[in-house]
Amino acid sequence: MFRKDRLHGTLEDLRRIAGEDNVFTAEADILAYSYDAGSARARPDAVVRVDSAEKVAPLVKLLHGAGVPFLPRLAGTNLSGGTVPLKGGVILNLSPLNRIRSIDTAAGIAVVEPGVVNLKLQEELAKAGFFYPPDPASQRVCTIGGNIGENAGGPLCLKYGVTADNVLGLTVVTPQGETLELSVEDTGPDLPGLFIGSEGTLGIVICARLRILPLPRHIMTAVCSFPSVDSAMKAVASTIAAGTVPRALEAMDRTSLDAAGGGGLRLSDATQAVLIVELDGNSRRELEKEMAETRSFAAAAGSLDFREAADESEREALWAARKGAYPALARLAPNVMVEDGAVPRPKLPEAAARVRAIISDYKLTAGLLFHAGDGNLHPNVIYDERDAEETRRVRKAGHEILRACIELGGTISGEHGVGVEKRLAMNWLYDRAELDLFSRVKEALDPKDLANPDKIIPVSDRHARRKTEPFHSRPAAASNLVSELKYRAAHGIKSRVRGLGTRTRPPSPEGGDACRNRAALPAVGGRAALRPTPDEPEARCSATSPASGRDLDVSGLDSVLEIYGENLTATFEAGVPLHVLRSALKAAGLEAPMPKLDGTLGGLIATKAWTGIRDLLLGLELALPDGTVCRLGGRSVKNVAGYDLTRLLCGSLGAYGVILSATLRVCPAGRAPRFHRPDGPVPAFSPSEVHRRLKKAFDPDNLLNPWIYG
Amino acid sequence: MNSKYDVNEMYDRHAEGELHLPSLLTHLGERSLYDAVSQCSRCGYCETVCPTYMLTGREPISARGRNQLVRMSMEGRLGGAAAAAGEALDTCLLCGACSEACFAKVPTADIVLEGRRAALGPAPRLIPSLLSRLMLDRPGLFGFLLRLGALARLTGLPRLAGKLGLFRMLGLAPLEKAEREAPRMPFTFLAGKLSADPELAAAPGGPAPAWAYFAPCGPNYLFTAVGEATVALLKRFLGKGLFFHNNCCGLLAYNYGDIRHAREFARRNIKKYEELKEKHGELKVIGDCSSCTAFMKTYEQLFTAEPEWRARAAAFAAAVRDAIEAVPSTAMTHAPREALAGAGRITYHDSCRACHGQGIRKEPREALRTLAGKNFVELPESDWCCGGAGAYSFTQPEMSERILRRKTANIASVRADTVAVGGTSCLLQINAGLKRDYPRAKAVHYTQLLERLTRPTAK
Repeated sequence: MFRKDRLHGTLEDLRRIAGEDNVFTAEADILAYSYDAGSARARPDAVVRVDSAEKVAPLVKLLHGAGVPFLPRLAGTNLSGGTVPLKGGVILNLSPLNRIRSIDTAAGIAVVEPGVVNLKLQEELAKAGFFYPPDPASQRVCTIGGNIGENAGGPLCLKYGVTADNVLGLTVVTPQGETLELSVEDTGPDLPGLFIGSEGTLGIVICARLRILPLPRHIMTAVCSFPSVDSAMKAVASTIAAGTVPRALEAMDRTSLDAAGGGGLRLSDATQAVLIVELDGNSRRELEKEMAETRSFAAAAGSLDFREAADESEREALWAARKGAYPALARLAPNVMVEDGAVPRPKLPEAAARVRAIISDYKLTAGLLFHAGDGNLHPNVIYDERDAEETRRVRKAGHEILRACIELGGTISGEHGVGVEKRLAMNWLYDRAELDLFSRVKEALDPKDLANPDKIIPVSDRHARRKTEPFHSRPAAASNLVSELKYRAAHGIKSRVRGLGTRTRPPSPEGGDACRNRAALPAVGGRAALRPTPDEPEARCSATSPASGRDLDVSGLDSVLEIYGENLTATFEAGVPLHVLRSALKAAGLEAPMPKLDGTLGGLIATKAWTGIRDLLLGLELALPDGTVCRLGGRSVKNVAGYDLTRLLCGSLGAYGVILSATLRVCPAGRAPRFHRPDGPVPAFSPSEVHRRLKKAFDPDNLLNPWIYG
Repeated sequence: MNSKYDVNEMYDRHAEGELHLPSLLTHLGERSLYDAVSQCSRCGYCETVCPTYMLTGREPISARGRNQLVRMSMEGRLGGAAAAAGEALDTCLLCGACSEACFAKVPTADIVLEGRRAALGPAPRLIPSLLSRLMLDRPGLFGFLLRLGALARLTGLPRLAGKLGLFRMLGLAPLEKAEREAPRMPFTFLAGKLSADPELAAAPGGPAPAWAYFAPCGPNYLFTAVGEATVALLKRFLGKGLFFHNNCCGLLAYNYGDIRHAREFARRNIKKYEELKEKHGELKVIGDCSSCTAFMKTYEQLFTAEPEWRARAAAFAAAVRDAIEAVPSTAMTHAPREALAGAGRITYHDSCRACHGQGIRKEPREALRTLAGKNFVELPESDWCCGGAGAYSFTQPEMSERILRRKTANIASVRADTVAVGGTSCLLQINAGLKRDYPRAKAVHYTQLLERLTRPTAK
């Protein structure tokens, strides 16, 4: 049959490259790779064990040439069916690539192969007094490669960021079998950001450079109980709002506690939720102060009890309640669906209440676990997958939970990925514009659709329209800009996106005075001389030239759209000057954790003049060259639904699209660490092959800043 | 329940139970095989503790893979070819590390064994079955055959015994290995020696015995010195005791042969225990091979379809103790310097059925720390199987070898001189590996080491 034929002739070559003993086609091997920790099933045609990182590229090249689908697989612990081969083909089993190549404590870098088990790395780092922050619950078995594929989080990511924030560089094999060396320091659109969390659909990571940190000298842990989930979340909100960033802030509800037998905590009957707070730092006194603050916030929120761990064994005992919850639920029934939604932090109590109602509507049992500090909730629904009717109810309840998260301004996956199981929900979160953009990105990097096909992006039913409205109304300037883009696209007029740094100036002399003037402006953009007049779109055009296009001035995008203090996020239009941004935040008692830079926010993002911006950015509103507006990311601090195009747009130099607005994570005033102002000009950018392909996905007619990709 | 899957008729005979376990006694209660295997939610948390997975990186020979393949075969999803799962089932060490790591404690080893029994069909492996039949029906002849082997050795014809394939014929591969590796096979088995020990006889009017020594096949037929050391140690710390005059515990038949034979061994041992209890009151049954004691602690599972025997088996199981947990560290002090000098740097290998099977980890470490102080070092991956695993080193020589090398490398990494173990299969296997890879160290049975370290010094 077709599938057998597809591999016919390729098998021998696979054996030649991978080694005689490393290609498996026996029925037991096929079946054992037809599942992962989710519930989807699909059979591969062959499994290839890859015992050297150098073999990945030739193998992929071979499969690409033969037109055989493939996907990388490691521990197979992902919960969204990401490693199930929907179109069959070959599974590249990378688990033998488990070498830690180097640990450099002076530079704070560990270089590892994808098969290194997360916990194993932690153990090796601990010997040197270091750690790698992402700590997913499955860290005992899950691998760094898998963590990168899913952009994994964990309790510690509240303080230290998710995987994407802790990867400094990647070696990636593209779906064509080319090997790329990527670094977050590279100029141009941020490619590591795109590959992280792409679930093996854009390429295969064969080596990663990770940021490692010295272990904090002190850790303090406390558990407090609350009469309601609501009051627990209030305590979370006030703690966070005060600027204390715990290394973990985990919550669980009564059902989870009961399942875990209270986890050894003596709980009063009134307890409905428990919060575990863990602080770390190098100054004991500082920690004690923060702990006292946290205690008073808990008390103000109505806590019933607040217990600090006196020593390491007590600390472990307190954690037992949290860590014992999933195991306890796993004992109550054969299967546990660990749902994964994220909402803006202040919406957590409401989300919890809605999840509870959904669970009870569908007559299911679930424990609620929250990474409360970052708005990520995990309802753990127990069921027996052999019971078809119950399984259907679980699936429906899961869908309703995700819809609820979307309605509350959140997302469908905080850290588990989309895989196949949440593909449908992508339709509810995104509009057709974004889904089409995701498809084009996938197509740009994998035109033959061979790398883990049919994942992340819905394959059908893309007509469903998003149910939610944008959380802010679009100011007139942005609307005008969009219609101007539409007009220019219709007439094939190229644009030079202004409000950018001097370096994006077209090299040609036609740039004229305007350009020379801008050259005198600060490195990161600045207010342009020409203000657009909304009623006269044509008036924006100046210094027209065939090579560089007409000016498109974005400095009119100068509104502060939302400062969401409780959520510690803020949304600005792209043309907002950074000094305006700073004073607006200051007025709200907040600040942005970034160095004191000049220019506009959009300019900072587009030029990546300070690379740290990629880690602050939570969402973008992007106008494509044809005037289509895409809303990428959002206001939840964790979000792995779809490709991370917000990061990709960092350093895009206005050539991929026009950033209309951006949402950033912010912190209470006075709590941001000190940053050095990046000095010297940003290095020149010349696009790589991948950048060029992506350009075609965003701007096929090269309408924006055309000289960059000219 | 409106089930999505039909259970394959191949497994229907589970209801009959004769050749199978009618149900499994899991941590979550009594479960049918299908329910027990379906409790695996595929989370994969067991993968990193499964030695065969960690060495090969292959899912089908991981704990999760094995559970899934057994389940698929029950659901008829192996395309009727249960043999497809053969490699997965045969390569399982039955070490139980996965079950310990599993949140729901899915009993992979029992599931794999049931899978093997189903794959083999109604006729279990011939040789081990014949062997256990022999031990059950003609223990004298069995002993005679073993002695014949020993004699062949003593009379300078060691190769002949090997060439005759005597042990292999008997299906007792470890013995063949022993023939090569063990310095001497005892000419008098342990049971004979202990029967002649007046201190182990019940003296009328004397103190009531607190324990009965159960001689597992390893110490009985191969390592009599281990059994003697255990008995001496028990006498020293636990007072008056008896010799159990036991049968084989039945594990060999359970793992490789005919489960009916295992039940018969169990019944005989249970009866023996009841006789002793009747005569002497409550006593502990102490054995010095962790595999055997772990198996005896689960005797109840053999009889879930026989209510009367089930209760008797449970009572017996409750009395069973592993020698490595029987002697409390509180009764010990630091060992004399000469004794320690003989042992050098001591480390401890957790025999699978001690740590995973019975949860014994603390007791031997506390004792060794008390006795040896700084001379005791922890062994990295101490709870990884050594690859001995009963007859595994014969049935899966290549995998066994790879696992063994990892063990000897770990032993060398802490520069140990003495490796204390709890199982006789480990003793055989680890010593074979050390002889080749790291001859400076030697594995000894835990009780032997303890006996030496706690021996009263002659004044």
